[in-house]
Amino acid sequence: MAAGFKTVEPLEYYRRFLKENCRPDGRELGEFRTTTVNIGSISTADGSALVKLGNTTVICGIKAEFAAPPTDAPDKGYVVPNVDLPPLCSSRFRSGPPGEEAQVASQFIADVIENSQIIQKEDLCISPGKLSWVLYCDIICLDYDGNILDACTFALLAALKNAQLPEVTINEETGLAEVNLKKKSYLNIRTHPVATSFAVFDDTLLIVDPTGEEEHLATGTLTVVMDEEGKLCCLHKPGGSGLTGAKLQDCMSRAVTRHKEVKKLMDEVIKSMKPK
Amino acid sequence: MTMSWARREHVGDGHTCKCKIISTFTSERTQMCALGLRWPERLAFRQAGPVPPSAHPLGQGPPGGPAAAPRLGCCSSGTAGGGAAPAAAIPTALARARGFKRAEAPAPGPRGRAEAARTPGAAMPGDHRRIRGPEESQPPQLYAADEDEAPAARDPTRLRPVYARAGLLSQAKGSAYLEAGGTKVLCAVSGPRQAEGSERGGGPAGAGGEAPAALRGRLLCDFRRAPFAGRRRRAPPGGGEERELALALQEALEPAVRLGRYPRAQLEVSALLLEDGGSALAAALTAAALALADAGVEMYDLVVGCGLSRTPEPAPTWLLDPTRLEEERAAAGLTVALMPVLNQVAGLLGSGEGGPPESWAEAVRLGLEGCQRLYPVLQQCLVRAARRRGAAAPS
Repeated sequence: MAAGFKTVEPLEYYRRFLKENCRPDGRELGEFRTTTVNIGSISTADGSALVKLGNTTVICGIKAEFAAPPTDAPDKGYVVPNVDLPPLCSSRFRSGPPGEEAQVASQFIADVIENSQIIQKEDLCISPGKLSWVLYCDIICLDYDGNILDACTFALLAALKNAQLPEVTINEETGLAEVNLKKKSYLNIRTHPVATSFAVFDDTLLIVDPTGEEEHLATGTLTVVMDEEGKLCCLHKPGGSGLTGAKLQDCMSRAVTRHKEVKKLMDEVIKSMKPK
Repeated sequence: MTMSWARREHVGDGHTCKCKIISTFTSERTQMCALGLRWPERLAFRQAGPVPPSAHPLGQGPPGGPAAAPRLGCCSSGTAGGGAAPAAAIPTALARARGFKRAEAPAPGPRGRAEAARTPGAAMPGDHRRIRGPEESQPPQLYAADEDEAPAARDPTRLRPVYARAGLLSQAKGSAYLEAGGTKVLCAVSGPRQAEGSERGGGPAGAGGEAPAALRGRLLCDFRRAPFAGRRRRAPPGGGEERELALALQEALEPAVRLGRYPRAQLEVSALLLEDGGSALAAALTAAALALADAGVEMYDLVVGCGLSRTPEPAPTWLLDPTRLEEERAAAGLTVALMPVLNQVAGLLGSGEGGPPESWAEAVRLGLEGCQRLYPVLQQCLVRAARRRGAAAPS
């Protein structure tokens, strides 16, 4: 009976739940799904992380390579993110070049990296003007059930914290780089940006961490990226219904609490990995 | 010497089928086979002397193809105004590295080899859909002082322990994850949905209530390698090798699926290789068959894949389920796909310098035994997945 009603009138079905201040999967309006993170599982990558937000699963792999630094910034390296939404994560995606959603997600991640200064690009330079690191961050979604941006940001952060780069020295006489694969060091991660996504229903109600169905029914979405000390890195609101200033403040305070939760989880995971 | 696919032909209903193996013998060495065997790139780098890149036939190949002219000027342009010798040394070293690779790649099989030789940046020059990175980049392994250790001697018939799990993705109709040693593959199945461009057809209906041949369903396979899956990063538009492996997947899975029961429909199978630890195609085949079974698609039997590789000259032996190191150093490689209950070969793909035909026959036998040994694990996995599904259903 309920399943039939859900198929015929999904929005009404949702409204009935929202009136009672809860959602069909039993969560509160401000509650996140269970978040699990697994780092260092891909041994061919320099750093990797798998993040599960409920059903949404995202894996990030970091590969570091050498390149000549950009001409306009000879003392900087590159960080190149790429979000891939393959057909296996959801039937709405087709194989082929990245669609709109993947491009938007890639650009969002690039903005987060740029604005939060999670890695100083100067740290990636080995020899100014000649050699620098380029970090390719490839994020692949394995299961798409809404809230992809949060999962991607978290996966990126976890993978960067896990990434280890080999030691490089430039031999003075030959001018060649010498790489010591046995000696590896972690990256210097300066900030920890954490994204929190919201969906707007009927122009008034805000719910946190929407699932795929909720995103589909929502009239607007909002993603807030917070840093430590409550600093705002990035705000992503692609159209949709408007929000009052007060609602926006609510979102930001929720984002601050979320940042604390995520940071705690990350620290636990990193601590459990360290003695190796 | 090359061997191509064994086809399983349908004669009436699926159970009385004949299988023929097509093999052709040629005397030249095939450098690169579809299993992704590549000649030890780093060894090639070390052994060849400094060769001016333009001297190599590939360097003068058709412009714009994968064997494009080496971009010598590319790196030195980064050093604006750097005229001193040390500033030029690194670009030359990078260019020399490219030259080494090209010198080793012979003319046949330029496709795969040249693709491996050049690592473009994150996006091809004309690709506006991805974030642009540097034009070219080299992996640090090229400059590392130490070599890989040779793979340890081992029992040639050992199979690595396999972890298989079906039914783990929420958005796909059926899914499976397979991990064998370092190889991790995830596969998802969706459909059946309306086939695009389905043609009308008549003709005799197959036995068992199946649709006539022209209306039978289609299996569309997609094989993808994660960019971080191998030793070197591969930029996302995969290229010919992924398409070839996708075709190999399709040819091996078709005999097992009752496509006649899905007229005018298509089933989409997508495999994603998360980490390549050797015998990737075999793992993808097995995962795809598990995912199809998990999706409830009607099948005659599961398909189990097994990889083999032949060690190079002094004392060549066929090794079952090679690791990545063993595959890289191999002289020849083979992947066998078997339907265990019907005991029929669904697919066979191999190439390289494998020695006399008896050696290949022996390798196939070894592979088929390996597939049979793997079957009980997969059965267990499917039973567990069905139980989990049954327990979750009433909610």
